[in-house]
Amino acid sequence: MISTAVTTVAFFVFVAIAIAFAVATVTTRRIFRSAVYLMGALTTSAAFYILLGAEFLAGVQILVYVGGIVVLLVFAVMLTSSTELLEDNPSPLRKLVGLVVASIFGTMTMFMFLLTDFRAAGDVKVKQFSDTAAIGRKLLGRGAEGYVLPFEIISLLLLCVVIGAIVIARKTRSAAR
Amino acid sequence: MFAWLIMPAVLFSIGVYGMLTRRNAVGILISAELAINAAAMNFVIFNRFITPVKVDGQIMSLFIIATAAAEVLIGIAIFVMLFKFRKTTDVTRMNQMKN
Repeated sequence: MISTAVTTVAFFVFVAIAIAFAVATVTTRRIFRSAVYLMGALTTSAAFYILLGAEFLAGVQILVYVGGIVVLLVFAVMLTSSTELLEDNPSPLRKLVGLVVASIFGTMTMFMFLLTDFRAAGDVKVKQFSDTAAIGRKLLGRGAEGYVLPFEIISLLLLCVVIGAIVIARKTRSAAR
Repeated sequence: MFAWLIMPAVLFSIGVYGMLTRRNAVGILISAELAINAAAMNFVIFNRFITPVKVDGQIMSLFIIATAAAEVLIGIAIFVMLFKFRKTTDVTRMNQMKN
């Protein structure tokens, strides 16, 4: 099994990599590179999920988030790219306001986390947390703690969203004249 | 557990900074994806450290991932049509309601 020292080192390495990718995502001037850095940040958070013990969620994250959503975003970048591929730098006032708001939010959140007594169960590695069969049973369960209703509604939601996207982006008769 | 919680808070703040600063509409969507991913990670961290016997946090993260996919799809459809009519995706230049 992985010892605690290796987990701690891996944790700090992944934190550094994820923050580097995230900062590169929001500050680069080219949109396509921003999408690729987002892919890196999402893969690093999948590594986080593995460190936490949620292996199935890490797999789903890479399949759906990286392999689906980032590909969709790359499509969006390609379909909406005008002649200027470089985005202009935002004005320094805007950057300052953004920095102030983001840092206030981050500081307030971490302050709240420090003040709250979370009654944590400690850093125990429970076998039931990594059990994929437990996720399956809960996702399709019909009892009081089952999630089968949101599961069905999510599939309806995705259907409606795809139909809506097609309706929004189709060629209407007036546009094709 | 607090050390684990710093990471999604910082990622969310970086996503908020990106949403406020980006000029391209797809860039705003990318920053929103970063923030949503941080929120999903928060659910898993709370699940692991407070009630490790249940898996509710992971299921919530699955639903968050699916909802984020739906949102990106609709956002892309809207931005593609907006680009077709306005010839630009610069959000600082979208300041009129009708074409």
